[in-house]
Amino acid sequence: MATANSVSEVTNPSASHGNGLLILLAAMSPEQLESVFASLTASFPNEELLIASPDALSDALPVDSYPPFRIIAAPADTSSWTLTAADFVNAYQLAEKNEARSILMLGPESGSLSSPALRELANAVLATTDLAVPRYDLPPHAGLVNSAILYPLTRALFASRVRFPLAVDLGLSLRTAKCMADAAHRFTSINKGETPLWPVNEATLAGFTIEQFDVGAPVQPAGPDLNTILPLLTGPLFSDIKAKAAFWQRFRPLPPARPAVPRPPVPITDATADIAPMLAAFRLAYTNLHEIWSLVLPPNSLLSLKRLATTDAAVFRLPESLWARIVYDFLLAYRLRTINRGHLLGALIPLYLAWVASHFNVIASGCDPEDHIEAVAAAFETEKTYMVSRWRWPDRFNP
Amino acid sequence: MQNVLAMMLQSVSNQSSRPLTADDASIWQHMANALHLSLDRILSLLIAILPGILAFLVALAVFTLIGMALSALLRLGLKMVKLDEHIAHGRGNSNWAPLTSSTAVIVRGSFWICVLLGLIIGVLAFDASYATASILPSSLIPFLAHVAEAVVLLIAGIIIARFLARSVLIGAVNEQLQYARFLSLGIKWLVLVLTAAMVLEHLQIGGNIVGMAFGILFGGIVLTLALAVGLGSRDLVSRSLGSHTEHSGESSAAPPTTSPDDSIRHF
Repeated sequence: MATANSVSEVTNPSASHGNGLLILLAAMSPEQLESVFASLTASFPNEELLIASPDALSDALPVDSYPPFRIIAAPADTSSWTLTAADFVNAYQLAEKNEARSILMLGPESGSLSSPALRELANAVLATTDLAVPRYDLPPHAGLVNSAILYPLTRALFASRVRFPLAVDLGLSLRTAKCMADAAHRFTSINKGETPLWPVNEATLAGFTIEQFDVGAPVQPAGPDLNTILPLLTGPLFSDIKAKAAFWQRFRPLPPARPAVPRPPVPITDATADIAPMLAAFRLAYTNLHEIWSLVLPPNSLLSLKRLATTDAAVFRLPESLWARIVYDFLLAYRLRTINRGHLLGALIPLYLAWVASHFNVIASGCDPEDHIEAVAAAFETEKTYMVSRWRWPDRFNP
Repeated sequence: MQNVLAMMLQSVSNQSSRPLTADDASIWQHMANALHLSLDRILSLLIAILPGILAFLVALAVFTLIGMALSALLRLGLKMVKLDEHIAHGRGNSNWAPLTSSTAVIVRGSFWICVLLGLIIGVLAFDASYATASILPSSLIPFLAHVAEAVVLLIAGIIIARFLARSVLIGAVNEQLQYARFLSLGIKWLVLVLTAAMVLEHLQIGGNIVGMAFGILFGGIVLTLALAVGLGSRDLVSRSLGSHTEHSGESSAAPPTTSPDDSIRHF
């Protein structure tokens, strides 16, 4: 359990250091540390850097090889795949203690990010930006929960174009760090420090400036399995949306889109083999979980799912609007506690797999993955009126 | 001949009419006495119980009124101190946050606590009046208490059975087990049978038969599940396990080639 413990110093504590930037590293293997240090040296040549690491006391830390770095100990984090509430509390405490002006939080695979990108993230928060977020260049088969649920929901409800709302690499100004720590304190005070925090939502709510930077393609370690990760991510996101209902129910214009980064065209392939297990899972769920889905979804959606369950794999396509309504209906059921929340999020998994299968089919037909993800996000925006209506009058609107 | 017959009839009627009239009167008198006695008993029973019932109703009504007044006062007080806002600020996005506001929960809680108190005091008053009158059978009140406990046990058992059945169903479907529904039903009935046995045992109905029947039923369900999964659905299980092994074993068995599943990163 991560806690906001007091931090011991490895080197002599001092006041403000270098450019006022604190770099907070996640727990890493020696190889990852070496890679991150090399990347930092390339990004900040000949600069004194204040680095906080949970591995500061470890012998494996290559301190001698990097003399400009002042390394202090940071409390160990609990999760390597996301930033938790405890991480933000620790980050702010460390920044205050060392009189840092801004913080750069780096995940275990940040060594694989491009060096200019790290510099850009840091420079942004050292200047006027409050929150600097990375935009990873992931392959089409990666970051699917983010593409299917996290990004479209954040974009539709919080009017933010941040493509990865739950990135593990972040740049924070001190006031953003304080805002995050205040939000995180609500979890750490009840011993729930491992709960993921949604920095983009918090920053949007506070009216902070957010900037996004292309950071290249990170190395992707094998994370937890889908049955674990989907409830772990969607549960806290749904809770956060529920808590901020007064904010997102008002219409807010979406900031203009950045010019698209040119990408190589996706070759037309046969995705049937890829999606067969997912469709099998969806069909099995349709025959077994229909009763549970009928408590959450309206008859129109159920009818569409019935048709989809009998659709051939080659032409399987979950319409974007249907997927948006499904997610909104699950969000509403989460709020209303229609069924146990653990059951609810478990029942969403086969539907998510159906979306993934549909996404792969779309990609296989030659469509750019990002175009499809943007179409999904646009559908979430269009269906927001449905969501707001159901949120405000769940009984009256119930079909 | 006619005279003889007439004399015979007269003598028979004279012989039978006298004792019958006397018996009729005594029977009617006995019946009336018995009815009067039973009516007296019922009335005296009612008279003995009536104060108890009245005390029960008065206690319930008084405490309900107190509860209503208390909840109204609490609602006013809590709205004045803005408890909901303070709690919402301090709680964060806890998964266990109640759907209704904290003020509503406290207000409703105080009302129902008062009603419960009224019920308890009413029952005690009723019990006191019964104890002094000693008319009700001595085992009735404890039996009623046992029935109430058994009902609570039954409701808890049904809720747990439904919860576990859904948990198993969703978990099994997400693990892509073909017999997910069957497994879920098996778990549900296991818990229901266990609950029924506990309820009957609690009510002391059936004696040893309940225990034996429960053992037989429970064992039967487990055996049925085992046989169905192990023998009856042998092909199904081997297919299911086979495909599962293929999925999980591909990466370890054949490291050079990666299956589509391996290349998928959900987060």
